[in-house]
Amino acid sequence: MSTILAHQLTQRFGPDLALDAVDLVLDKGEHLAVLGENGAGKTTLLRILATAARPTSGQLELFGLDAMRERRRLRALIGFVAHAPGLYPALSAAENLEFFGSLHGVGRARVAETLELVGLADVANRPAGRLSRGEQQRLAIGRAVLHDPRLLILDEPDASLDSGGADLLARVMHGRSAVLATHDHALANRLCQRTEVLRSGRSLGAGTRLRVVQ
Amino acid sequence: MTRSVEVAFAVARKDLTSEWRTRELVPALGQFVVLALVIANFGFQIDSQNAATIAPGVLWLALVFAGLVAFGRAFAAEREQASLEAMLLTPASPVAIFAGKALAAALLLIACEVVLLPALALLFGTPLNVALVAAVLLATVGMAALGCLFAAMVARVRAREVLLPLLTLPLWIPFIIAGGQAVQVAMGASGSYNQAVALLIDFDILFVVLTSLAARFVLDD
Repeated sequence: MSTILAHQLTQRFGPDLALDAVDLVLDKGEHLAVLGENGAGKTTLLRILATAARPTSGQLELFGLDAMRERRRLRALIGFVAHAPGLYPALSAAENLEFFGSLHGVGRARVAETLELVGLADVANRPAGRLSRGEQQRLAIGRAVLHDPRLLILDEPDASLDSGGADLLARVMHGRSAVLATHDHALANRLCQRTEVLRSGRSLGAGTRLRVVQ
Repeated sequence: MTRSVEVAFAVARKDLTSEWRTRELVPALGQFVVLALVIANFGFQIDSQNAATIAPGVLWLALVFAGLVAFGRAFAAEREQASLEAMLLTPASPVAIFAGKALAAALLLIACEVVLLPALALLFGTPLNVALVAAVLLATVGMAALGCLFAAMVARVRAREVLLPLLTLPLWIPFIIAGGQAVQVAMGASGSYNQAVALLIDFDILFVVLTSLAARFVLDD
């Protein structure tokens, strides 16, 4: 059973075609990089895969379940890092994770473990609004793996991360399936076995690891 | 069921903690209702003869506009921080999340009423009794459920500040009529307090059930 099985995913926003009949397969434990210029449809595709948006047409199965009908069940299996960190600035880093943990039914021990994993144990009691942009991104990544999801969907998570960001991403992606949208080909090469290139909402085809031409 | 109650309390606790730390809403609402009462006090030439007639109207006007601000902020802040989507992408029930948001918004409005009711008694010389407080609290329950539902609906559109009152105010009218009657009687006017309160309870049950059913479709689009 594939982790992701997408067939002819299409997304229209009024007259604009954001995603044009994209097919996608991701096997268990596999890491896929989605590459493309701004406006290529990466975020639209990832939001659909994360069940944050419904496609205009096409079929999507996640873990063998219909993603349109079983959204709540699937959300327990998916971790999503969106463009915006989506944190509560008045709550501390730990309180943010405790809150989302309570929505997932996850205990406090896992919160401490996650803070350690994303390197925020030292600033656990600092309000999220006073964390640096990179620390906020680490916290958003922590929230995405808090419930130990089987599929991780990461929309340009490296945008605000420091030099240790790639190691962090490697740590959180380890042992689970992942889809990573990025502009950084070297990062995609390091973390993913396969790539999917999008242009103007269309898939230009999948490939194995990229070759960086000097 | 227990899980949904836990989620609702977690959401409400999170909203109240955020408000306690930032103090963005309640102090502003408190100032607003006191200013509204002061303006009404001068504008209506209040005396002991007409206070019991005018005061309920002033009370509901102040409460309605404070409520619009409180409920509007409940979802607007979540949208601005992009945190609503993060909440909805958990397996938690959207109805439980909605209930938590409505509970927190209702408690914030009650905090505002803690300022409003004594200020009304002070400026208008009207009685402040259990019957009056009970009528206002009962109206707050239904108003919070409706206000939060429409706030969730309009949070994603640009003209939400205009749309929220246009959608909410017509459906708050039953609460203002029944609540207005109950408050008038509690302030000494003639009429049936029990009948008005029974009507408020009926409206509360009706709108809490309806908004709970609708919340799933509004939040989890």
